[in-house]
Amino acid sequence: MAETSMALRSRALVAESRHLLFTVAPGAIWIFVFLVLPSAYLMGVAFMTTGPYGLPEMPLSLDSFRRLAGFGFLGWSPGNLYTLLRSLWQTLVSTALVVVIAYPIAYYITTCREKWRPIMLLVVVVPSWTNQVIRTFGWMNLLAPGTPLAGLAESVGLINPNMGLYPSNFAVTLGLVYNFLPFMVLPLYAAFEKLDTAQVQAAQDLYASPVRAFWHAVFPQTLPGLLAGTVLVAIPAFGMYVIPELLGGGKGMMLGNLVANQFAGSANWPLGAAGAILMLIATFIGLFAMRRVGKRLGGGEEVVI
Amino acid sequence: MKKRTLQRGLGVFWWLTLVFLYLPLVVVMVFSFNSANSAAHFTGISLRWYRRLLGNEEILSAFANSMVLAITSSVIALVIGCLIGYGMYRHRHRKLGWLIVLIYLPIVLPDIVFGISEMTFFVQIHRLTGILQPGIETMIIAHVTFQIPFVALIVYSRFVGLDPSLFEAAKDLYASPWQRALHFMLPTIKPALLSAFFLSFTLSIDDFVISFFTAGPESATLPIYIWGAIKKGVSPEINAIATLMIGAVAIAAVLSLIFSYRRQR
Repeated sequence: MAETSMALRSRALVAESRHLLFTVAPGAIWIFVFLVLPSAYLMGVAFMTTGPYGLPEMPLSLDSFRRLAGFGFLGWSPGNLYTLLRSLWQTLVSTALVVVIAYPIAYYITTCREKWRPIMLLVVVVPSWTNQVIRTFGWMNLLAPGTPLAGLAESVGLINPNMGLYPSNFAVTLGLVYNFLPFMVLPLYAAFEKLDTAQVQAAQDLYASPVRAFWHAVFPQTLPGLLAGTVLVAIPAFGMYVIPELLGGGKGMMLGNLVANQFAGSANWPLGAAGAILMLIATFIGLFAMRRVGKRLGGGEEVVI
Repeated sequence: MKKRTLQRGLGVFWWLTLVFLYLPLVVVMVFSFNSANSAAHFTGISLRWYRRLLGNEEILSAFANSMVLAITSSVIALVIGCLIGYGMYRHRHRKLGWLIVLIYLPIVLPDIVFGISEMTFFVQIHRLTGILQPGIETMIIAHVTFQIPFVALIVYSRFVGLDPSLFEAAKDLYASPWQRALHFMLPTIKPALLSAFFLSFTLSIDDFVISFFTAGPESATLPIYIWGAIKKGVSPEINAIATLMIGAVAIAAVLSLIFSYRRQR
């Protein structure tokens, strides 16, 4: 008797496992073959030597990392270091600006009538549905020499006559803020919508000043949304390619451009792969840090993207 | 009183932000009707750039490539992603941490790293075996790879939202698993499948970086064509294609709004 039930159970287990295999295997294998293997190969390339045409060759070496740090045939040059610092700086500034704009916008949407809210959110999100190249091209049109915006900047003395506002670092920051604003508004809106107003009421009843009430009753409640938004903005901003390429020019280059250039034109695959590793490290540090902070705040589930 | 000033200030800020969000798009649209070849001076309304589009073989083939890529990749991703989504739901009590990591990988990987990984991999495979020459096939493979997670997560969350007793009822009603799949599961997750397909399609159309690195010389999509035209020097024709693409997005936005209001009722 016991034997048959054991046999039955093991047969059911086999059927379950087969079911798992049939449903999950195709996708898991697909992602493994077409993403895990390629990324692993790219990681490996970083530790190879640069051969003719910039292609990777044996033997293994750490040469590419030395090159990435700026050591070349002609001694050390700070170019790559500047690019890295610029990427960090642009990420920091644009994320901060996005927060400053998105915070009041998300709050404002929650104060409006309920039937308007979906439309308002849609209106904020729709520009990001258009292709990134087109959006950036729109800014090129707006910031080009001879446009009203460039004329305004010229009359204030910000730029030389007959120059446009791009290519410049300012244009890259603007492009980043424009690109990522919706990614911050959505999670912040979700946080504001769930806001427990009883806490705010309590703060007011206890004669807290509006500023104090905000910092102690409102702000902590929106932190999970803020964190989720920061993950969605800062990580892709750090690896951005299109915006600095079109709006930044040679002096506005970011890490993404440095990496991409090594696979086109003046090819050097190992150097590019080393840059990609740097980008991955930054990504995972960012994700990890946000998860840690998110867990400590207790609102962990929103932070897991 | 004070509260009202705050509210009014926020309202002004809201409209300013909308101007910021839509100004670049509006400029592209307005200058697509410019009769002069200038991005700074509007001289008069004309349709000459749109007429030029129709005669441009390269643009027409880029449009065809975009469509073939988006539709094919979305269909493949829908099938594979739907299976994973169901598998994740059925076996959610097992330890599937590795699967979750695998599924989130395409989402968290910076797209430049994603694109370059695929490109170096395809180039080397092609050198060794002669298959997978960079072109529309490699682009489809790459797009499916980033679409699968989104389909899987949408389908999974739909299943989680269902009453588990429904599955028991379906087991009693239909004898074979195939009948169950056909008559119970597919109809119940139809809305999820639709929105997964729509999202996959949009992701594909919206992608530039991954397409750019996996494309071959013959398989340029619309964004890749526009990129090349911008790099060569701005031509007003770009405004015209860009306007058509913005128009498509606007139609999609209106449709999604109607869809969501209908569902509410």
